[in-house]
Amino acid sequence: MKRLLCLLCLVLPWLAAHAAPTRVVALSWDGAEQLLALGITPLAVAERADYRRWVARPPLPPGVLDAGSRAEPNLERLAELKPDLILTDAALAGLRPRLERIAPTRVLLAFSSQHDNAATARALYLQLAREFGREADAHRRLQALDQRLAQLRRQLRQRYPQGAPAVCVIRVGSPTVVWLYGNNSMPQAALAALGLQPGCPVETGAWGVAQRRVVDLAQLGDTHVLAIAPLDPGGPLWQSPLWRAMPFVRAGRFATMRSTWTYGGVFSLQYLAEAIADGLAHFDNAPKVHLHID
Amino acid sequence: MSALRWRRGPLWLALPLMAALVWFAAVGRHYPARGDLGWLWRVVRDGPGTDLDAVLLYYGTLPRLAMALVVGATLGLSGCLLQQLSGNVLLSPMTLGSASGAWLAMIAGAVWWPWLSAHHPDWLAMGGAVVATGLLLLLTGRHRLGSLQLVLAGMALNILLAALATALTLLHDQYALGLFVWGAGDLAQYDWHWLPWLAARLLPPLMLLPLLARPLALLRLGLGTASGRGLALLPALLAILLLSLWLSAVAVAAVGLIGFISVLTPALARRAGARTIAAQWGASAALGALLLCLTDGLAQLAAHWSSDSVPSGAAAALIGAPALVWLLGEVRDPPDPAPAVPAVRLDSRLAAMLWFGFVLLAASTCLLTRDAHGWCLAWPEAIVWWLRWPRLLAAGAAGAGLGVAGVILQRLLNNPLASPDLLGISAGATLALLLSAGLAGVGLAQVGWLPALVGSVSTLALVLWLGRRFAWRPSALVLAGLALSALLDGMVQFVLARGGLDTVATLAWLAGSTNRVEAPAALALALGVGGCALLAWLGRRSLTLLAAGDALAVSCGLSVSRARAGWLLLAALLCALVTSLVGPIGFVGVLMPHLAIRLGARAVGAQLLAAAAAGALSMLIADALGRTLLYPMQLPVGLCAGLLCGTLLVLSLSARRGGRS
Repeated sequence: MKRLLCLLCLVLPWLAAHAAPTRVVALSWDGAEQLLALGITPLAVAERADYRRWVARPPLPPGVLDAGSRAEPNLERLAELKPDLILTDAALAGLRPRLERIAPTRVLLAFSSQHDNAATARALYLQLAREFGREADAHRRLQALDQRLAQLRRQLRQRYPQGAPAVCVIRVGSPTVVWLYGNNSMPQAALAALGLQPGCPVETGAWGVAQRRVVDLAQLGDTHVLAIAPLDPGGPLWQSPLWRAMPFVRAGRFATMRSTWTYGGVFSLQYLAEAIADGLAHFDNAPKVHLHID
Repeated sequence: MSALRWRRGPLWLALPLMAALVWFAAVGRHYPARGDLGWLWRVVRDGPGTDLDAVLLYYGTLPRLAMALVVGATLGLSGCLLQQLSGNVLLSPMTLGSASGAWLAMIAGAVWWPWLSAHHPDWLAMGGAVVATGLLLLLTGRHRLGSLQLVLAGMALNILLAALATALTLLHDQYALGLFVWGAGDLAQYDWHWLPWLAARLLPPLMLLPLLARPLALLRLGLGTASGRGLALLPALLAILLLSLWLSAVAVAAVGLIGFISVLTPALARRAGARTIAAQWGASAALGALLLCLTDGLAQLAAHWSSDSVPSGAAAALIGAPALVWLLGEVRDPPDPAPAVPAVRLDSRLAAMLWFGFVLLAASTCLLTRDAHGWCLAWPEAIVWWLRWPRLLAAGAAGAGLGVAGVILQRLLNNPLASPDLLGISAGATLALLLSAGLAGVGLAQVGWLPALVGSVSTLALVLWLGRRFAWRPSALVLAGLALSALLDGMVQFVLARGGLDTVATLAWLAGSTNRVEAPAALALALGVGGCALLAWLGRRSLTLLAAGDALAVSCGLSVSRARAGWLLLAALLCALVTSLVGPIGFVGVLMPHLAIRLGARAVGAQLLAAAAAGALSMLIADALGRTLLYPMQLPVGLCAGLLCGTLLVLSLSARRGGRS
């Protein structure tokens, strides 16, 4: 019995050291999202209130604490929380040596111009699943994601029997400035998963997003345009003659889609794909703008 | 007379011509297939029809031109009224703090009162402008409207409010990110709705103008004469001031911050030969319209080259700042009072007690912790201390370095306002760091201090070269430095307006952050600053001699030019070291030498040490405030120090009114 206890004393710390982390702090929102998608509730998230407002899905459980701002996380607060894992993104890579002193730190290099962001999100998710010993669960969830995407793709193929249209997803920042989501952005990855053609002429970048003047949208080619429903701006713009003269508006190829976070983890692909598919459904109901040219 | 006429002619001819040329060039690049005048005219005459290019021209480009003209005229008139009111050629909504006040109110509105900012941006902006200006006038006293002191305090207030706006943006980045382009002044339009909006707000108050011509003409003769001729002074002054503020607030609400137009155009109008009150109004409005049209055309042209949108306000700063320096020649201000050495000598026992209290306060803030349970003052846990001491060391060393640099510059230039921030040296280092980080494609933290040194040395050289025309008179030099800072800030805005998510990280660095400082870097900064401070202290005799005058220095066997260059290089090096590690930090460098003198350190050597100590202690206090006030959010130390010391500076700049010290 005594020997057994001794053995237990030896094994327990080893077990504790190798057990899955339970007190996890996410300093990046995509990290928080990946955690929640693994069924793990983070101890704390940076800018908790803004996560709830901007990312929204998956929802943050009520008990999660605030870890300060994403650009300047409160290190002393982190130390006080005594986490056993910290997730950050590349923007905080310079902070890593300091974070390591608080707890083991994983820098999730989620967004970079050097890799495919969507594929990386998937790989990072699986890596996290391995570390938390939830691989089976993760594979099941990914399978469900793929099935859901395939289902949406089938529906779209039925809707467009003569070939999938090109789609450009935009976000209206102010009535004069828009962001276009192009190569290597999550919306574009969702488009690809849906079997749609990319429509935004934006060169590959870390986030795959480019800022443009509203008037520059006139140069968009033969593409559908989906605007992520903004929180405030955009309303009066969409009634303006300038907007209604845009080729894609005249041809009835413009609709809004519901607000979705565009810099998220692997499951944000599903939210984006659903929002895009729903947005495209608007086109069928939308009254076409008929112009009488004499 | 003919020479005068010759000098005036080109301005009236060249400015419209240039504005028109640049504007047409921009339009031509927008519509490469349609760049001919006939098409333009047909669209204007017949309306847009259904042709896409015509619609874009009619609802995008033309309203933008109209806005540039109207807003430019508004800004010009606003500045003209202020300058006529005060007789101060440097007064404008920008130098009175009201433009920044309006801008701050707009940001606060976007974050906290979205309804108000969507429906009544004009009242919001007006509220901000009135509060800021009221604060300034309350501090300086309305009788000092004509002084450079007011302009300096106003510029300082301007920087202070801009820092507050930055803090708000940092804390609420998602809401305010879209405001960046707008904050740098955005004239882009998508229909004509702003024009009637502006007209409804501008035309009724402008009906008052004819009533104001006589009071302004009387005011020109002097306040005494004016009241002697039966002018009810206070209501007249107040009406003119409010009208001017209203004009600038409406402009801010419509297009965001556009500086310099309002301060430049009245001077241009005078140079163009406008003598009477009404002629100056007309000329200022016309020149303002042309100038903004010109800068906006340039911004549009630049946008074609960079493929990113270029804010018009930043373009205005690029043109306006050099012009402001050129304008300094007009300033006829009596020489500033001698460097402020307080008449009252502090009792040495009181000084010692103050120092003791200062040290105690700073030391205790080092131990101040705020956690989930509340505030506590105790030696922190090992891990917390390990996290905290590098940032404390970095903050302290930065404060000490800026204090020493401030003493060197103030003694060397015999200028109570000389300092790394007010002379634009910090801004130069910042721009150099941003540029080299952008060119090398690395993070700001990895750039190192060498580019910062290049930036700070070249800015210092430029300011001194600009100041030579005014014999390096204190206020002229500081105004040159502030103008240069604005120019460099305009360039920084260009960088920031490129958008993208790293904007927030850059903003955090621009606010002066110590959160990321590693122990080795903090130690290196402390060693570097310590070495420079030691060097300065060892050379204190030469600094004393240089401050006493070149003749004395030469007679004592000093190589004046070499010693001067060495001291300037040392100050620039200190600024570069500090800026490259913790970012630009405002107002510490200018305030600490004065604080040192007030606390009893009068000789150069003692002042160097005392300013270093005071700088370090102030930064420690600022760091504690930033760490704890908004827990678990943190404010960057540079921002806190700037707000703290900036408030003190505005107070002390304005406290000199009435000869009281």
